[in-house]
Amino acid sequence: MIERRMLLRAGLGAAAGGLALAHARAEAEPYVLGTLFPMAGPNAEYGTIFTEGAQLALTHLTADKLLSRPLVLKAEDSQGTPQGGAVGMSKLVNVDHALYVLIGFTGVSKAAAPIGTRAKVVMVNGGGVGPDLAGLSPYYWNVIPLASAEVSRIAPFLVAKGWKRVALIYMDDPFGNGLRKSMQSDLPKAGGEIAGLFAITPAEQQFSALAAKVRDARPDVVYFASYGAQQAQIIKQLRDNGIDQQLVTYSGALIPSVRSLPQAEGLIFTVQTAPWSATDPVTKRFLADWQATHKDLPSVYHQNYYNAVRLFGLLAHGLEQQGKPVDGDSLRAELLRVRRFALVGGEGTFDDLGDLSVPIDIETLKGGQPVKLD
Amino acid sequence: MLLAQLLISGIQTGVLYALTAAGFALIFGATRIFHFAHGAAYALAGYGFVFAVRAGWSWPLAALLATVLAVGFGLFMDAFVYRPIQRHTGSFFTVFVAAFGVVIVVQSGIEIGFGRAFVAVTSPLTHASAVLPGLYLARAFWIALAVAVVMFGALGLFLARTRTGIALRALAENPDLLRAYGLSARRLSALAFALGSALAVPGAVLGAATTGLSPSVASHVMLVSLAASVVGGIGSLRGAAVGGLVLGVAESLVVSVLDTQWSEAAGFVVLFAFILFRPRGIFGAALAR
Repeated sequence: MIERRMLLRAGLGAAAGGLALAHARAEAEPYVLGTLFPMAGPNAEYGTIFTEGAQLALTHLTADKLLSRPLVLKAEDSQGTPQGGAVGMSKLVNVDHALYVLIGFTGVSKAAAPIGTRAKVVMVNGGGVGPDLAGLSPYYWNVIPLASAEVSRIAPFLVAKGWKRVALIYMDDPFGNGLRKSMQSDLPKAGGEIAGLFAITPAEQQFSALAAKVRDARPDVVYFASYGAQQAQIIKQLRDNGIDQQLVTYSGALIPSVRSLPQAEGLIFTVQTAPWSATDPVTKRFLADWQATHKDLPSVYHQNYYNAVRLFGLLAHGLEQQGKPVDGDSLRAELLRVRRFALVGGEGTFDDLGDLSVPIDIETLKGGQPVKLD
Repeated sequence: MLLAQLLISGIQTGVLYALTAAGFALIFGATRIFHFAHGAAYALAGYGFVFAVRAGWSWPLAALLATVLAVGFGLFMDAFVYRPIQRHTGSFFTVFVAAFGVVIVVQSGIEIGFGRAFVAVTSPLTHASAVLPGLYLARAFWIALAVAVVMFGALGLFLARTRTGIALRALAENPDLLRAYGLSARRLSALAFALGSALAVPGAVLGAATTGLSPSVASHVMLVSLAASVVGGIGSLRGAAVGGLVLGVAESLVVSVLDTQWSEAAGFVVLFAFILFRPRGIFGAALAR
């Protein structure tokens, strides 16, 4: 009998100990954030930039001890392609068990979103600008203005400058086609016209023939919508092949390989308003720590992915305070409950689709530096 | 005038394709090694050239460095990658996978050294100006043409008129017979790799100045070289040269009737047409069944 009691006590003790151990392990288990960026190939430059912004936010959240559990970043290479996006997202969801994924590129997002949505994993985009990324999924949020907003901003500006005939060079993919539709809709409304449409593919590297066709269309201005290293090749080859018209593009051109290109001098582009003169503590801390390390101003991509990670920290902190679990559903509910967050650039407000509203500037490159035009 | 402009663009692209493809064809023709890493020699030469120009070297010195890098790479591949494989298995698949692996290593090395961004050398030579209304020409066009003529002429003379050149041609036919004549197949193989890799240099140098380079350029170059070799006739140097030119001109001229995005596809339509209707290529020898 005594032996039986002892055994029962020992069993109960072991069970209680096991439960406590499991609880402690759950407490210590990190929140896994995933990144699905192009880390190799012609768009790898973006992957480096996006990751730098996310890493700084991670450093700040860790230093602030905002969350009860540690944060880890797991990276998957999307290669900038839909196929790479689908494979990478599957690994992040099923192998790494990421509950919040930072994502960029329109094609990648459209391929990865159904996988993330099925697993109720939140995906935050700070780099892709395809117009149809708005409302892609309840779990897909944008912290970057989409190309439709950039086109709406630039179309009246071009017409006001007297550049009414626009030659449009666009990537034949979800991003480029979305932008083309926006341009075909917004430009005539502003009083302009499309002088020629020129579709290109991501792998294209020779643009001398394209330059001949663009010249043949006799445009007042050339608008191009590409991404990665190809943008610099387009600019250089258009200029080398006698295209003297004003070149215009969207925010994707703000990468070092374009900024450092002599032929890109005077390039006009739209970009979300850079908040570097803001005086709120979040922006000041981000800017100070960035400049201490990099000795240069950050780009809006750094800002966006910093904000994306910071947003997770704020949402998870709120949920922890309420004693709620941190998962896709609770993060979404918390986002829609709070709506306004202190982010880099000041207080940001999210709409019902989970998109952050951001003002857009028109800027030009002077000596490799962006200068505000309008 | 659009057609004339497209033709000129196509010729400029085509002669650079031709030189690069001829390098691949020379190596394959002499050694029967499918040197998939030929594109990596192009990438190394191009990036070496950019590095030297950025460091303030003159163009000829920078081109010399590019040549040293490309030739050194070719010799390395022959001595330390292909030869050990051939001593053991020597299968096509093993050679291909080894070369593919080297391409990835070279690409990663370039990404570490230069970053993942696009690089280019800026020069007034590449800036086109109007020679006729609507017809633009850059001095780089004449340079590309002159370099191709000189290099193909010199190579043709070397292969046809010198004992080493003739031995190189004989290497593909019967290496055992070469040994019987007291010639070293190993040395000739190394020479084929050195010459073939050197042929990638003009394309790489002019590519760095005209289109620019990205770390993944090697695979694109290899694809073009392979297509040009098939169109011209596998293993035929003359065929690869003509094949490269045909591909370059086809890619450019198709833009006059189709959208620019079909430019590269046009080259491969030409390739498929040859595979279907003339599988031995323009100058390739017919194979007995």
